[in-house]
Amino acid sequence: MCRSSAYTSPVSKQSMQEPTFLILTALAAGAQHGYGIMTDVARISDGRVRLRAGTLYAALDRLKADGLVTGDKEEIVDGRLRRYYRITDEGTAELAAEVRRLRANAAVAASRLGLAGGAV
Amino acid sequence: MPPSPLAVWAWPEGLYEGPGTVLGASRGRLMSVTATRNTRAGGRARSRMEKRYRRLLALYPKDHRREHAEEMVGVLLAADGDAQVRAPKPVAWARRFGQHTADSADLIGGALRIRGRMALNRLRQTRWLSLTVRDQRWSDALAVVSVVAPLLLLVAALTEFRIPQAVASSITGHPHWGLSATLGLADLPMAAGAPGVTLLVFLRLRRLAGLGALATAVGQIAAGAVPAFAGYADPAVAFTVLLSCTAAVALLLSPGPDRGLALLTRSGAALVGTGALILGGFSVGGDVWFGSEPPRFGGSGGKVAGLPADLLIAAVLVGVAAACLRAPVSRRVLALLAVPVIPYAFLWQEKLAADLFGQARDGSAIIPSSIPLLYLPPLLLASLILTGTWLARRRAGGRNRQVGSATSGPRSPVSA
Repeated sequence: MCRSSAYTSPVSKQSMQEPTFLILTALAAGAQHGYGIMTDVARISDGRVRLRAGTLYAALDRLKADGLVTGDKEEIVDGRLRRYYRITDEGTAELAAEVRRLRANAAVAASRLGLAGGAV
Repeated sequence: MPPSPLAVWAWPEGLYEGPGTVLGASRGRLMSVTATRNTRAGGRARSRMEKRYRRLLALYPKDHRREHAEEMVGVLLAADGDAQVRAPKPVAWARRFGQHTADSADLIGGALRIRGRMALNRLRQTRWLSLTVRDQRWSDALAVVSVVAPLLLLVAALTEFRIPQAVASSITGHPHWGLSATLGLADLPMAAGAPGVTLLVFLRLRRLAGLGALATAVGQIAAGAVPAFAGYADPAVAFTVLLSCTAAVALLLSPGPDRGLALLTRSGAALVGTGALILGGFSVGGDVWFGSEPPRFGGSGGKVAGLPADLLIAAVLVGVAAACLRAPVSRRVLALLAVPVIPYAFLWQEKLAADLFGQARDGSAIIPSSIPLLYLPPLLLASLILTGTWLARRRAGGRNRQVGSATSGPRSPVSA
């Protein structure tokens, strides 16, 4: 007896949420610690996205579970642990795929709006 | 944006602002947060804030807390320090209050997200249909029942539609029983369910067969609810409902019919087969298709009297029970099968009373079947089985702990 195709067919990938995209982008240039990611994300998004600790660590927890991010070196600074995170190969591939998807969508939108540089 | 002094204190080596750049490192201010608390006026406030954050971090799962709590506190304090700006006191207070409230809400939200994700993952990882009874003897007993119960269910369904009676009549030339031509909506669960479950068992689709048995039970319960739950008071319905439930439990929680067949001896299989035929034949159809006397259709709904048949029923039941008492697994099989067979006792006592007192009986010798009488004893028995196994497991666990504390040997298997 066969299972329903709904369970066997690959689930179409959802687009990446913006905080996830920005965290991976922040880590794409190199390993960073939590506060570094927060400030980098604010800078990348031009101050539009300001991650707070709860959101950041919930996202890091999920990204680690998905294998997109992993822990790097650890430091003890004044009795407090500082852990660095870095993007994995899988995370890099995922981010690259998302960039391609966003670029393609943007190109279509631009061409339909008649904006310059719309053609792919 | 230049980092604030507080942020630099929180991160003495400086704020990371992109790869290769560490701000604040050149300042050389390696003053720790603890030192700050003691030396600065705002130290007490920061300490209070840290305590508040730590209280909120208690909302996070233990593992997450152990791994991230310290760095989260550090980040929160750093972000808090970085957000401080020179402003009039009320404005600064309002900004700080807003910042703390937003951080607290964000921490609570983060805890909820992580806990929610963990709960969802646990649900996804649990293979609900792969759960089986751990105790070996009960597991084996359920495996045997996973063979016996579907067989009983099939016989019960065949008898409900008088198929064995019709076959026997055609062979013996008996004029009274033909095939039941009517098939109402209430008959559908048994008509479709019983053969379906047997087929799935034959195809070795254990879980699907278990779900089929469960659907058969639910279908019968739904059919019995109209009108006014009248169907539930019928011992035949109680028998088949409980039998379907027993079959479902046995199929879903045991290794399955393969293991059951491996455990059944030839004499055991013969005994089960005979028991199934007789139980099914007597309990559901309402008409006996064998016996020494011709049928008498009277006011009791066409039940056939015959003391030899009563004796045969009793002999089969006693024989099956005696055979089952010999081994631990068989005793458990007997206990499990007793759950659906209890309503059968009401049918049998009705028939026995009719045979002993004949047509002239006034009914005073019969215990009238009612919903509590039909369902409570089986439920009580099922509860006893569950409680007994649970207590035995606890006792065995306590013994194992005692043995384990005395010796460091491997734990013995738990038995009920």
